[in-house]
Amino acid sequence: MKNIAIIGSGAGGLITSSKLAKDLSKEIKNGEVTITLFDKKREQEFQPGYLEVAFRGTDPSKIRRPVKKLVSTGVKMVYDNVEKVDLADRYVKTEGSSEKINYDYIIISTGSSPDYEQIDGLKQANMDFHTDAYNASLIYNRISSIKSGKIVVGIGGLPYKCPPSPNESAFMLDEYFRKRGIRDDVEIVYITPFTRIYSAESINEVIEPMYERRDIESITAFNTDTVDAEKKELTSLEGETLKYDYLFLTPPHKPAGFLKGSEMSDEDGWVKVDKKDLHITTYDNGFAIGDTTNIPISKAGVEAHLEGIVVANNIAAEITGTEQKIKFTGRTQCSMETGFHKATFVVGTYDRPVEKIEPSTMNYMEKKAMEKIYWGSLHGHYEWLFKYHFKKDYFEK
Amino acid sequence: MTTLNVDSRGTACPGPITDLIRAYKKAQNGDLIILVANDPGAVPDSKAWCERTKNEFVGSKDVENAFEITIRVTGKKS
Repeated sequence: MKNIAIIGSGAGGLITSSKLAKDLSKEIKNGEVTITLFDKKREQEFQPGYLEVAFRGTDPSKIRRPVKKLVSTGVKMVYDNVEKVDLADRYVKTEGSSEKINYDYIIISTGSSPDYEQIDGLKQANMDFHTDAYNASLIYNRISSIKSGKIVVGIGGLPYKCPPSPNESAFMLDEYFRKRGIRDDVEIVYITPFTRIYSAESINEVIEPMYERRDIESITAFNTDTVDAEKKELTSLEGETLKYDYLFLTPPHKPAGFLKGSEMSDEDGWVKVDKKDLHITTYDNGFAIGDTTNIPISKAGVEAHLEGIVVANNIAAEITGTEQKIKFTGRTQCSMETGFHKATFVVGTYDRPVEKIEPSTMNYMEKKAMEKIYWGSLHGHYEWLFKYHFKKDYFEK
Repeated sequence: MTTLNVDSRGTACPGPITDLIRAYKKAQNGDLIILVANDPGAVPDSKAWCERTKNEFVGSKDVENAFEITIRVTGKKS
C-alpha cells in the first residue's frame, strides 16, 4: 500500500491529484494506492478572475466553485488544514489533532497569500485584488464612486503572485475611467521596486510606450516601506514620499504559516526544492509545487499546473515501476491584459528569456478561452490541449 | 556592519533583482550585499537599481561562471 498526501486544494493540488488518480486508477481500485487531499476550504476561486471582479464588476460568485465538484474520482478529500509535516518520520498532523497520518509521498501545494505585516500601515490604507474575490469586489464598489483623484497601484513588496497583475490593474483602471468619460480627472500612478515598469526587459519594451500613450505615470525603484492611512501617503525605504487618494497596491506575499521555521524552507518559509523535479532538497519522497516553492520564477497558476504534472507523473512512474521520469522546463505563460480587449503574454523557460509579444485581440481571446476551460482543467480534461500548446516546454525528459 | 550573501545563480531576470531587493529590505545603511548571479543582466540591472535608490555599486567581478556583485547599502532613510 502506498499513501500519497497532497496538501492544498488550489490549482496545483487539484491538478496533481487528478493526474495521479488517472495514472494510478488501477492501483487505487485494487487498494494498493490511496490519494488524500488536505484543505479546510470548501470553495475555490478562479484567482485570475479577481481583476475582472475588481475592475469590471464581475459577480464574485461567478468565479467560485465548491471543492467537492473539483475533486476527481479516486481522491479522498479531508477538509482540514495541515499544521505539521514530519519529513523524517513521514507523517502529517492536521490542525488541532494529535493523530499522525502516515504517507509514502507528500506534495505540498499550499500557495501564497498577502502579507500585510511586512509594510506598516498598508492594511489600513489599501484595498487589494489578491486576497479573495470578496475583497476584489470592494475595489469595484470604490472605483464606481470615484469622480476625480489620484489612484496609486503597483507592486507593494516582493515576492507577490501573478507578476503581470499590477500592470493589468493600471491598464484596466485606465479603460474603466475612459469608458466613464472622466479619465482626465483621474490620475493613475504605477509604482514598482524594479527599475523597469515590467521587470523583464522584453515586456517592458512593449508596455512602457503604452503607459506614455495612456497617460499612466510610472515610478520605478520605489521600495514601499510604510503607509500612513491618515495622511494618505506612502514612504519608501529611501525616504521618498508619495501622496494618493486611493490605494490598490499588490501586497508582498507569504507562504502557509506552518512552513516558516521548518527544515524544508528558506528563512521566509518558501520550500526549497530542486527546480526541475520539484523534490524537497533533502527528501526524495517529498515535493512542493506552485507558489509554495522558493524557485525564482513566477508565482502563477501555470507553474503550479506544469510542476504538478511532472510530480504526479514521476510518483506514478515510481509506483508502477515504469521509471519514465520527466522534468519541469520552467515554462511560464502569464497573460497581461492591456485593456480594450487586448493582451500580451509573458512567456519563457529556464533556458529561454522572456519573449517580446505585442498585445493583440487574439491573445486576449486566448486568455478568455483559458477562463472557460479552467474548472475542467483541474480534473485533467484538457491536458491534451496543454500538451499541444506547450509542445516541448510541457516537460522535458 | 553586516554582509548579506545572496546566491541568485540559476535564476534569470527578475530573479537576481528580486533577491537583491528582498535582502535590501532586511539590511541597514553600511551593510554590504554580495549578490552572486549568472544572469548577464544582473550587473547592469544592479547598477541601475543602485543609481535609482542611492545605494553604492561597489563593483562586480567574474567568479566561476558567474558574476559577484558588491553593493554597499547607503540609500536607506535614517
